[in-house]
Amino acid sequence: MSRLLRTGAVALFAFTGAAQAVTLEVTAWKGNDAEPAALPELIERFEAANPDITIDFSYISRTDTDIVLPPRLQGGDAPDVMMADMPLVKVWGDAGLLAPLDKGDWFDRLDPAVKAAVTTGDEVFIMPLEVIGMGNFVNMALLRDVGIDTAPTTIDQLKVTCTALSQAGVKPMIFAGGFSAPLFAIANGLEHDPSAAPALGTEDTSFEQNQAFIDTLSLFPELADAGCFDPEIQAGVDPWSTALAEFKAGNFAMMPQGAWNIRDFASVEGLDFVFAPIPSANDTGVALDLFGVGWVISSQSEQAEAAKAFVDFFTVEQNLQALLEAESAYSPFTGGASGMSARAAPYDEARTAGATIQFPFGVLHWPKPLEAEIFDSLTGYLLDLEQDPADVLSRWDEIIEDQY
Amino acid sequence: MGKYRIFLFTVPAILVLGIFFVYPIALSLRLSFTDFTGVGIPKDVGWKNYERIFTRSRYLDALGVTLLFTLIVVTIQTALGLLFAALLHRLPAVRNLCRAALFMPAMMSFVIVGYVWQFIYSPFDGGLNALFASLGLGALQHNWIGDPHTALYALAFAHIWMFLGYTTAIFLAGYAAIPQEFDEAARLEGTSGWQRFRHIEIPLLAPSFTINIVLSTIGTLKTFELPFIMTRGGPDGATRTLSLHIIDSLFGKYKFGFASALSIVMLILVIVITLAQNRVLRAREERAR
Repeated sequence: MSRLLRTGAVALFAFTGAAQAVTLEVTAWKGNDAEPAALPELIERFEAANPDITIDFSYISRTDTDIVLPPRLQGGDAPDVMMADMPLVKVWGDAGLLAPLDKGDWFDRLDPAVKAAVTTGDEVFIMPLEVIGMGNFVNMALLRDVGIDTAPTTIDQLKVTCTALSQAGVKPMIFAGGFSAPLFAIANGLEHDPSAAPALGTEDTSFEQNQAFIDTLSLFPELADAGCFDPEIQAGVDPWSTALAEFKAGNFAMMPQGAWNIRDFASVEGLDFVFAPIPSANDTGVALDLFGVGWVISSQSEQAEAAKAFVDFFTVEQNLQALLEAESAYSPFTGGASGMSARAAPYDEARTAGATIQFPFGVLHWPKPLEAEIFDSLTGYLLDLEQDPADVLSRWDEIIEDQY
Repeated sequence: MGKYRIFLFTVPAILVLGIFFVYPIALSLRLSFTDFTGVGIPKDVGWKNYERIFTRSRYLDALGVTLLFTLIVVTIQTALGLLFAALLHRLPAVRNLCRAALFMPAMMSFVIVGYVWQFIYSPFDGGLNALFASLGLGALQHNWIGDPHTALYALAFAHIWMFLGYTTAIFLAGYAAIPQEFDEAARLEGTSGWQRFRHIEIPLLAPSFTINIVLSTIGTLKTFELPFIMTRGGPDGATRTLSLHIIDSLFGKYKFGFASALSIVMLILVIVITLAQNRVLRAREERAR
């Protein structure tokens, strides 16, 4: 009898031990060699702090996330924790495939703009990891060569800088229609009234009749006249390959782009650059913040507690800090730490001065399909700057209309 | 019963066709009348997706881009393939080497080809512009894929470069099927090389023309890889093919229902064009016999 009890006790112990050991499947489009985002190190740290949980991590690029994960979610075989952005949260959350997160202390600490963005009705499905700046990369060595010591933050300064550079035979600005020009247009279009963004993403208000956006697009010919860029050449520049290579090679003095490039640019020997706000009508310029990514938990996860522990791990500021530094990003929490380098001091100043605007696609104010149309229409506009800005903007309205 | 037994042997083929071809098409047709986002339960939207396709100029423009791209690629690729095959047929010493060299680009991945050509066409010291500059032809430098007037032709050139080897190989196979006696008899009659090419080889290569034209038409009508990698459909839609619209609608916009409607439109387009081509080319083959 006692032997039977002993065997039973051993079996029970083994069963309990086995039940406690959990393998959590996690996917993300960061964490590979090209963009580590400190995830390998953080996962190691998490496993050390939670010896019962093993992380089975898979890198899936953002593009492949759209292809690989929906069938798994639909088929009931989703990873436990997935990296997501708000467009994905909208689609997956609406389909009931995401588990609502506990609104704990971390939720209360969120920056109000981020908090509003991540809240769907009464639920929150995503724990935001970072806010990344989108601003103007400025090659200071080239500016100093023409006697300019600070990155331009106003339109007037930008024109003066462009003219000086252009006269010295330096190409002033990469203004690719596929990204840089849209960043400039969105930042300046919304600067006058950032609160207009949600309404512009609905049928209630139109871009075509929005004077701030009309005025912003009217600036394009003025910038071209000031020598900032050759519009026809810029229209066809690939912002994700050619533009980056050209800036790194020191062939252009300025380029509106995302802060995620800071680390890469900083590795280029001799490239003396700063990350500044996007020049605008105000003295501060615009700090265009992108709420990018966060963790979501699948509603089908059988390891809900372990998944929650993993997500909670990233709500601790000192854990998140490693990721922010690797990403050159800001914390999504109020008063949270920053991972920005000293090169982003001008952008930091604009943020401190309250010149921050949320990139409307990151917070779902504007529908994702509009993004591609903005890229296309501004490329078309650069190819023919005599077009009426209202006609260009009417194309944006058509996309909004198509969403309903 | 006995005479119908033979049809039992077609069952495996019918099953494969049904499961892997007919069912996906039927499913796409069904989804094309919904607002499916890729997950969850789709809601019926009636003809709304089709109405959008035919009332928005950007989709009709994409249709025009697709047809023009196909016309350029099929015409030039077929003509150049015939030219190379005719030359190599007459140069047996270098035939195998040249055939392998021509075929090489087709073995490379689209991603590599796309990026290589993107840098060749780059407006900032790209390979092509640098070549013109070094030859003293600076006036010919151009923003090849940044100018909507040249972008589609630049992409078509890269596409033709990639697949010219296929076309040439098919024509060479056609040449191998032409009986040697025809050539010898024509030579005895004192015909010139051009006359033999025009009146003997071209008619007898009719089946090769059919295969080449039909295959390259179908492949090019569905193409999205090079426009996706090199221009993302730009500048301002100048290289946006229907397939690229489908990819864009599926991934990033999560409009699976709409993408299904576009797929059905494209399927009908491919079928109609291929049937028409087939009819004309088969009739030509019959006349050549």
